[in-house]
Amino acid sequence: MELRHILFRSRLLLVGLSILGVLILIALLQPVLNRLLIGDINPVSMGTYKAYEEVSPQHPLGTDRWGRDWLALLILGLRYSLIIGALAGVAATFIAVILGFVAGYKGGRTDAAMRTFTDMVLVIPSWPILVTMASYIKGLSIPLMALLLALFSWAFGMRTIRSQVLSLRAQPYVDLAKVSNLKDREIIFQELIPNLLPYIGVAFAATTVGAILAETGLELIGLGPGGNIITLGLMVNFALRWGALALGKVELVFAPVLMLILIFVSMNLINIGLEEVFNPRLKRVTGG
Amino acid sequence: MKNYPVLTYVLKRIGLYIFTIWGAFTIAFVFFHSVPGDPISAYVATMEAQYSYKIPDADVVIAEYKKMMGLDGTLLQQYFRYLENVLLKFNLGPSFLSFPTPAEKYIFEALPWTVGLLGIATLISWTLGFTIGGIMGWRRDSPIAAGITNLALIFSQIPAYFMGLALLFIFAYGLLWFPRRGAFDPGIAKAFNWDFISSVIQHGALPALSLVLVSAFGWLISTRAIVVSILGEDYLVYAKAKGLTGGAILRHYVLRNAMLPQVTGLALSLGFVLNGAYLIETLFQYPGMGTLFLSSLAMLDYNTTQGIMLMSIALVLTATLLLDLLMPLVDPRVAREGKG
Repeated sequence: MELRHILFRSRLLLVGLSILGVLILIALLQPVLNRLLIGDINPVSMGTYKAYEEVSPQHPLGTDRWGRDWLALLILGLRYSLIIGALAGVAATFIAVILGFVAGYKGGRTDAAMRTFTDMVLVIPSWPILVTMASYIKGLSIPLMALLLALFSWAFGMRTIRSQVLSLRAQPYVDLAKVSNLKDREIIFQELIPNLLPYIGVAFAATTVGAILAETGLELIGLGPGGNIITLGLMVNFALRWGALALGKVELVFAPVLMLILIFVSMNLINIGLEEVFNPRLKRVTGG
Repeated sequence: MKNYPVLTYVLKRIGLYIFTIWGAFTIAFVFFHSVPGDPISAYVATMEAQYSYKIPDADVVIAEYKKMMGLDGTLLQQYFRYLENVLLKFNLGPSFLSFPTPAEKYIFEALPWTVGLLGIATLISWTLGFTIGGIMGWRRDSPIAAGITNLALIFSQIPAYFMGLALLFIFAYGLLWFPRRGAFDPGIAKAFNWDFISSVIQHGALPALSLVLVSAFGWLISTRAIVVSILGEDYLVYAKAKGLTGGAILRHYVLRNAMLPQVTGLALSLGFVLNGAYLIETLFQYPGMGTLFLSSLAMLDYNTTQGIMLMSIALVLTATLLLDLLMPLVDPRVAREGKG
């Protein structure tokens, strides 16, 4: 299917991709935008401006308690949140694809054992375990954080991919490939993976959303990587700790919150859109 | 055994339940014991740092407490003691928060608040989402239904914590209609009278509403999807041919069939009820399991932390077990599959 066709088959997919595209563009352009906003100053460094300055043309979102330009910080936070989410999403999707393939392709006992294990992982409440781990590991780095998040979010994707591999394996063209003496590796990469791409895409989008959500949750209770790694969740945490709600500094709390909601909504629209396009039975079910 | 398919099914399912509980508890054990350093030494070190005082013979103290907490001996000995205590005696060990009060005591004090708040919020969201979602599916071609569905797609993705923040800002800081934190007014004695109950309702309103506003939209979307898929069924054509009114078809044919998968979903989400509690409770400083979990974690209260985790695992697994055992009674199709 041509990309243009895919996009216009689903309005939800188009809207979701547009919003996410703008967010990613902002995150990529962070160094440029930072220079435009506050010059060569590091947005994280404290005491650059007066604390709690009102919203003005110089500071479109005001400044925080430590005299930092909140908009410049917001763009940096968006960048870090997306980086952590994407890294965790890639890692989790990788685990899901490998395990899903092995289980679905091998079948039999291997499949049964791996499915039981995955079901077990799915019912174990991951959030308290994640919180405990994050609180015991001091000084989380970004890759470590992403890996930790990925360890708790591959299970759902593995199930989807496993069931797809299972149904694809029974297709006549796979039998044909086997009869024509193709190696397992060739069958997997030439016949199966291309057909699975939309499902891998859905798994990636879903795990990325889950990772950003979990990272935000950890930051909210003060368990993030810390240091100079400013994420959107950490900004909400800062604002709440300063009592921004009681001070009436709405923009400090709700600017990062709105940014996060945009991420969640856009990625979810992409997910529903992908399912609409590739699973036509669902077409119009979701209102698109 | 071949002659008793139901018995075989039940036994198999219960066997799987026991196996999963064992597996999950073992994973939890491995996890807690792979944490670098042991909790007692960490606790002693924290105390020493806090009061800048070097405890004489700290090793002896640590060894004594380790024995009391069941943390002495080899890993294998600890593992079997852990299984025996947790699975057979339901004994989670003493809490560190106030030694030697058992950890269960704190957990059972916090549990009713969480189950009450989240259970009621879940039931309200389900009822609202199911009813409205059913109607939206039934009238899927009207522009209002399309508008509400698109709105639901956005709202269902807002984390309840953020919804809570917005509600807190508007109704507790701006309009001062609701209290900002806690589960009841500490000035009112705990008693079964209207003063106390109304205080509990006032304090619970905002946290419950923030959960309801998000998850009702989630139920709305899934119910609508099920209803739309039912609309093409032959029995609806037949019902129409019989001359039934639209309302009767919606109630007796469409919603009844949509009910089954959604009740399953409801039971599952009631099982996962403890999981939703952590952040919302922190935001409103609600004295439930989520708040207890975080404070026990901050105090390095190993037994309470572990107890809460085991509790939520057991709750989820038990809910799925009950669901699998009860579903065949409600839905004859599942029973047939089980036999086949």
